[in-house]
Order: sequence, then structure tokens, then C-alpha cells
Amino acid sequence: MRRRAWLLVAVLLLAASAGLMALVEAPVERPRARVAFPSRLREAERRRIAERRTMPPAPAAAAGRKAPGAEPPAPATAIRRDPFLTALPAAPGEPVVVFEANALRHSRLGELFIRCALARDPGVFDTLSRETGLDVLKDVDRVGFAGETVVVSGTFDAARWERLGKGSVEERHGDEGRLYRIPGRAASPVLARWRDQVVVISPDEAGARQALDQLEGRVPAPAPVLDEALSYGEVYGVIPGEAVQRLFSKRDAELGARLAAAASRVELHVDAMQDVAAVLRVDGPDEAALSELARSLGGAIAAGRLQAQATGDTRLADLLDAARVVPESGRFSLELAVPAATLERWFEDCAGATPSAPPPAP
Amino acid sequence: MNSLAVALDLLREARSRRWVLALALGTTGLLLLVAFGLELQVVDGALAASRFLGGRAFGDIRPADVALRPLFAGVAYAVFYGGVVVGVLVCADFAPAALAPGRIEQLLALPLRRAELLLGTYLGVLLLLGGGALYGGAGLTLIIFAKTGLFGWAPAGAALLAVAGFGAVYAVMLLSAVAVRSAALSGAAGGVAAVAFVVAGQRTELAPLFAAGWGRSLFLALSAPLPRLTGLADHAGRLAEGRPAELGLLGAQLGGAALFSAAVLALAVTLFDRKDF
Repeated sequence: MRRRAWLLVAVLLLAASAGLMALVEAPVERPRARVAFPSRLREAERRRIAERRTMPPAPAAAAGRKAPGAEPPAPATAIRRDPFLTALPAAPGEPVVVFEANALRHSRLGELFIRCALARDPGVFDTLSRETGLDVLKDVDRVGFAGETVVVSGTFDAARWERLGKGSVEERHGDEGRLYRIPGRAASPVLARWRDQVVVISPDEAGARQALDQLEGRVPAPAPVLDEALSYGEVYGVIPGEAVQRLFSKRDAELGARLAAAASRVELHVDAMQDVAAVLRVDGPDEAALSELARSLGGAIAAGRLQAQATGDTRLADLLDAARVVPESGRFSLELAVPAATLERWFEDCAGATPSAPPPAP
Repeated sequence: MNSLAVALDLLREARSRRWVLALALGTTGLLLLVAFGLELQVVDGALAASRFLGGRAFGDIRPADVALRPLFAGVAYAVFYGGVVVGVLVCADFAPAALAPGRIEQLLALPLRRAELLLGTYLGVLLLLGGGALYGGAGLTLIIFAKTGLFGWAPAGAALLAVAGFGAVYAVMLLSAVAVRSAALSGAAGGVAAVAFVVAGQRTELAPLFAAGWGRSLFLALSAPLPRLTGLADHAGRLAEGRPAELGLLGAQLGGAALFSAAVLALAVTLFDRKDF
């Protein structure tokens, strides 16, 4: 009995010691809500995909207009097509990233960003709207980047094309396509418009024509760079190893080449409606090299977290605190998250984050 | 009262041990070496120049005590951590010796409770180390005073804080000795405890090394009741640099160390009660 009393005293004293220290110590970590990471298509995204298939299935052949020596046309498919994805050019070795602009605008991050922008310049969106005829907060649906080509989808019937294509020549192309190019300036980008739904900004005229031809079925659409099955999250895309390699300077070319060899394909998905949760799924042919890369990244995250804490960089510390590397069979995922509460804290400095400057209604 | 008698008995025994005596002589020798061998010419020269030339020589003249703050801080840290390490080495044998066959029976035959015996041993060791630390700390204070003309009680203050930190380390050593009567194991337990207390002092910085989740929670839970040894050392350095103490924090660190020591002593008593001598 007496022994138990001593034991109880010991436990109580230990608890008192911990309690006393907790009174004066800064909290080690704030309670953090669990962040869900995008890992597959969800029901809402399946519906979104179905709703976006507004074009008839690809025609069986465009043989009559096929260039000599070109690949035989792809067999007809019964699946209706998404004009935006159809317009995306095949860009081997180039990154393809799509931003769900409209969804992002209504996300927590988007709301905070808009409030911030309005606080700094209350007329910023009105000015843009007057100049372009577009309500950028409402009319733009998706923005895709495929190498140097930009594809935008949305509702552009109110767009002031004469202003957008200032100094350019308008030319009809196909049934419902328009090209806007500046004559005599081969290096300037060419804008292609299809109906009032899709706009393609291409670095050259051939690319712009190709996009319109793909949309109207005059040429077979290339194998999609971005499969519909990957279109989940508010930002998604595929970054090939070659693109990663190009990020490195000549001095670090060897490192870039090694990275590109290990990570031959990086898939990106970002959820941003409340918390921002990003997943980079890295694939590569060499499992051992991939494992080394995963471990290196894990170590870098841990070291960065310590460094950020030591230097008082709370934003980076917040970001890295929720970062982790998750090994999977034959690949790994790098997960990064910024909870909504942290986002709001980050925007606290921005005057627009105050309730006095609400965002415009959707 | 009985505990105090045991403590005084331990001090008598310590005096009779040659190697404890040798260590005292070693400390004295070290102090003498510092007194006669420490080259403070640079500091001395700067002090003389500032006295002689004043503001005309340098655009930005700092008071001498400010210029010497890094020296005091360095001494404070050295005394603090040195005191803890010396304490672990010197005191590793006391409890195992008290629990040795023959001696323990003799002690238990006295009108003493087992808890009093353990508490007396603990207090005796703290008194011994406190005396030694004060001797070394105060000696260093006086040497710096003699060599620079500046009086700073930092080394003595650091020594007292080291004793407070060592109190928790020795509680663990005592628990280890009760569990297994071995001086080597007691010393090792002291070393491990000191390292653990250093880690606990840096738990906020180290926690991000663990993945958020159960791993980090376990680390934080286990390190929560441990004394913050680096916190006490930092206070020693802080006082040495002439910065005001954060009394609330210092109080909590000292209180936490005392509570932890008491908890471990209570565990040692529990274990000691189960032993059949």
C-alpha cells in the first residue's frame, strides 16, 4: 500500500513538472486539422468531366485532308469530347498544367486573394472588365499551360476581341474558328478563338491552326497529354522529367539530368477549396534512384523545417510542417498542405483580409 | 533531521576518499592555472586603451563590463556544463557504496526509514557538489576580478544553477543505483539523463524532426516532464551577459527540475522498499 502511495506521488510529481513547464513554454505546435489530399477522381469531378463533354465524338477519319505521310487517323470513339482538353497541344517533353480558374476564384485562397487585390486597388477588376469586356472573376473557367501554349476556356461572348487583338489581322479558320495575328511579325504569339468557348494563345501560327483543326476534327487529335482521369483537384498537370531538367542552370546541369532520369514524370494535383493540399506524384524507371530521391526530399523537408523554425520563418515552417514524402510501390508522393486557418493568418497582413472589403459576388 | 544526519555522514565519507580529495586539489590547480596562465592581454590592452585614450581613440567605446560579457558568458556555460559532467563522474560511486552489502545492513539497523536514507544520500551529494561548484565558481569570479578589475558573479551563479540541474541528474543516478548496485551503471544513467535533459531543453526545436502525428506526440509527451538543462544553462549565460533574468521562466525551470527530482526520488523509494536486504 505504501509503495503504491510513493508510486502515485511520483506520477503526480512528474505530471506537475510537465504542467509547470507547459505554463511557460511556447506551444510546440498548434492543433492542426487533418488535411485531405487529392488522390483520385471524386464524384463531383466525375460529374464535372461529364458536363464538359460538349463536343461530339472525334470523327473516324479526316483522310481527305490528311497530309501525305501523316499518321493514320485514330479510330472513332463514342465518347464525347471536352473542347478544352481537345485544344491542348501535344507537347512532348513540355509540362502541362491546368488551373480550374473558376473553382479557384471561389476557393478560400481565391477569396482571400481577391480581397487582398481589391484592398490594394478597388477598381482593378472593373478596369480589366472595361478593357476586355470579360468579367475575369466569372467568365474564365479553365486556364491550361502546355509548354509555351496557353489554352483558356470559358464564356467569351462579351469579349472585346477588337481590343484584345489590337493591331492584328482577323482571319477565319474552319467553321467556327478565328485567328488573330500581327502581320509581319512572325515571332509574336497568335491568338485562336473557337466559338466563344476556347481561346488558344500559341507561340506560332501553325500551333494556333493545329488547335482549331483538332477542335473541328480536321486532323486527328493527338494522344491526350492530360487524360481526363487526371483532371482532379483545382490545379492538375503532368511535368515530364525533361522539363524539370530545364529548370537547372548549366552549372547544375548534371544534377538536373540525374533528377530528370530519376523522376521521369511528375503528376501534380492541388485541392484548394478550403485547405490547400498539394500532391506531387513522382514516377521513374529506376526504383532505387526514385527511393534515393524520396529520402533526399524527406531529409530536405526535415532540415528546412528546422532551419525555418530556427530563423523564425513561420510561413515556411507552417508549410514544411505539413509536408511529407509518402513512398508508394514504384513511385512516391510529396504532400504539401496549408490549412485554411494558416492561409488566413498569412493574409492577415493584407488589408483586404478585413471584413470591410468583401469580395464581389460570383 | 535524520536525512541531514545521513547527508553529513556522506560528506564525512567523501572527505575520507582520496580521489574526491584529488579532485578538489585538481580544481584548485585549475584555478591557479587560470589565475597565472590565462592570457587576457587583449582584454587588458583594450581596457587600458579605453581608460587612457577614452572616446578620442575609438568612435564607439563600450564599457569594459560590456566588452567582457562574452568572456563571462563563456565561463558561465563552461562552469555549468563542466559542473554537471564532473558531478556525474565524482558522485557515481556514492549511492552504490552506501548500498554495498554489509554497509546497507548497518545503515538499515539505525533508527532510519528507508526514504530518509535515500533522501539523506541525495542531499549529501548535492551539498558536496554545491560546495565544490561554489568553490570553483567563486574562485573564477575572483580570478577574473583580479585580472580585469571587473567583478561579475556569473561563474558563481552558473555553478549554483548547475547544482540545480545536477540535482535532477543525480536523482536518476540514485534510482539506477537502487535498481542495480553498480557505479558504472549509475554514471552511465547520469550521462544519459544529462543528454535527455539537454534534448528536453531543445524539444521545441527538435519536435519538427519527427513526423507530425503519434511520433511527435510521443516525443513531446516523454520530454514534457524532463528538466530543461539547456534552459538553465542559458539563464546562467544570460545573467553572465548582464541581461535580466526571466524570473517566471527561471522559476518554472527550477521548479520543474525540483519536481522531477522529487518524482524520481519517490520512484527510487518505491523500488528501495521492495528490496530485501
